[in-house]
Amino acid sequence: MKLSTEKIGEVTVVTVLTEVLDASNAEEFKIATAPILEKNNKVVFEISQIKFMDSSGCGTLLSFLRQLKSSNGTLKLCRVQEPVRRLFELVRIDRIIEIFDTKEEAVKAF
Amino acid sequence: MEKIKPLVLIVDDNSTNIDLLVDTLKNDYRLGVAKNGQKALDYTEKHLPDLILLDIMMPGADGYEVCTKLKAATRTKDIPVIFITAMTETAHKTRAFEAGALDYITKPFHTAEVKARVRTHLSLKKAREHEIYIASKIQKTLLLGKPPRDINGIQIAQLTIPSQKVDGDFYDFFKLNNQCFDLVVGDVMGKGIPAALLGAAIKSHFLRVLNELIRLTEKKEFPDPEKIISSVHSSMIDQLEDIETFVTLCYARFDMAKYLLSFVDCGHMRTIHFHADSNRCSLLRGVNMPLGFPEQEPFKQTLVSFKPGDLFVFYSDGLTEAKNQDGVLYGEKRLVDFVQKNAIIEPKELINIVRKNVVAFSQSDIFDDDLTCVLVGIEKKSTSQALLDKAKLEIKNDLTELARVRAFVRNFCEGIPDLPLDNNRINLIELAVTEVTANIIKHAYGEHTGEQIQINALLLDDKIVLQFYDWGKEFDPKSVPLPVFDGSQSGGFGLHIISHTVDEVVYSRDKKGRNCACLKIKLTRKD
Repeated sequence: MKLSTEKIGEVTVVTVLTEVLDASNAEEFKIATAPILEKNNKVVFEISQIKFMDSSGCGTLLSFLRQLKSSNGTLKLCRVQEPVRRLFELVRIDRIIEIFDTKEEAVKAF
Repeated sequence: MEKIKPLVLIVDDNSTNIDLLVDTLKNDYRLGVAKNGQKALDYTEKHLPDLILLDIMMPGADGYEVCTKLKAATRTKDIPVIFITAMTETAHKTRAFEAGALDYITKPFHTAEVKARVRTHLSLKKAREHEIYIASKIQKTLLLGKPPRDINGIQIAQLTIPSQKVDGDFYDFFKLNNQCFDLVVGDVMGKGIPAALLGAAIKSHFLRVLNELIRLTEKKEFPDPEKIISSVHSSMIDQLEDIETFVTLCYARFDMAKYLLSFVDCGHMRTIHFHADSNRCSLLRGVNMPLGFPEQEPFKQTLVSFKPGDLFVFYSDGLTEAKNQDGVLYGEKRLVDFVQKNAIIEPKELINIVRKNVVAFSQSDIFDDDLTCVLVGIEKKSTSQALLDKAKLEIKNDLTELARVRAFVRNFCEGIPDLPLDNNRINLIELAVTEVTANIIKHAYGEHTGEQIQINALLLDDKIVLQFYDWGKEFDPKSVPLPVFDGSQSGGFGLHIISHTVDEVVYSRDKKGRNCACLKIKLTRKD
């Protein structure tokens, strides 16, 4: 899975370049992200490309959050498309992970 | 034709003793020999001898232990055991009888005595078997009625497994008209011929009372079940008290004109009522004491309404009290869960699955008690709704197929005339079908790949129905833990998502034993 990363100050912004994040590629997403999470503990995921996500995608994000918190960091999300936002509300991720409209706001919030 | 000689098992660790016993018995019986306790148990399990001569002192499992084990197993507990031993003290003899022995012979023995005792116990056994045969004949011919075939909208199936000690389970059906029939299921306390005869007597009382009451009523109305039970009870109470027994039963009237069940339960097993619309079971319990208890309050009937697709399960305690080898009971809860999961299957097929399930549970097809079960299924009304559109997709159990499932469902939804589903709704439906399909792919077939999942999309007037069929492991949504929303867990959201994105979700097994996850989405059309 393609990811592009950008360092803004202490924060790493990961842009996820896939339209779908579901059970078919959640594992792939995890593997691609693992090296980034090893080196950085303040991470923003820019997920504007993702049009569809399922519970596996949510589960993966939650496992990233737990990993980052254990190294005193955290994870934020930005530019979430409407269907994905509906999913986050449904499984109440919006109460656990901060979500921002823009990358800049997310970076500033650390 | 020459009769097969009875099989006698000789259990002794001493070759001299064995030779002596073999010489004594070989002309009259077929003989088996086991030289220690374990071999005796193995032999018995395999050949089921008619009688066992059992030494006490043996290396390994001794005679007491062997006898206790034989008496604990349903298959072997009725085999007569005679201890034959050099130990002559009363304490040893007492212990042998406590372990379940029928007789005790001390060594050195006289061959004539051994012959006589073996002969006596075999003839007693034969007499017991004959009684069971007669009782089971009575049961088959007199106690078990035939269901009416021509009641509109009803399907009935019944099952009986007589035990080795017939214990007076009975049931019968009384057809009142084309839309109404009565069912009585009952259990006489006691075993053997007395219980069987009493069961038959009760059945004939019901017929007589029913006839009399119908003749007495002026408007040709049928007498209420509570009235029938009261009459039967008052005509039988003296006899029941005389022979000190009682009868539990449930008398139920199915009225298909009103979709109403009125029943009088007299201390019988709780009838299971499966509700098709909510996919849940409730248990019907009455307020009455068993027949044969003096000073009865007036019998009271209870009314329950039912709907198309509902199922009623009547049964005797032989079913719920079937034990497995560890002594665990099959139990009401297991039965209710089983019914709930399989209620969609037609009664005729379902009754076979009930039998298989209880046999598999107890790992035996021989039971301590009679086991009866009567299923009454209310037929579904043929859906008046016309099927407006239909589409089918077959996929392999591979997660890369998820995209195809979403495209299939989106395509189907977008093809509905007047577009009653907006894009947000379709997004949620895509989410639901992804979760359902991913669950099936991950769990139904274990590690097997290349298995099939079939998806049907149906368009009805006011809803769409999405059916997901697989041929894998049965899925019980209740076995899945509830999701935790504090971020501490990554999984467990799937079912929550499904139930919150569609209007209805039902998991079941269909008539062919396939698993079906069925999603229903209501359509709200603009007028």
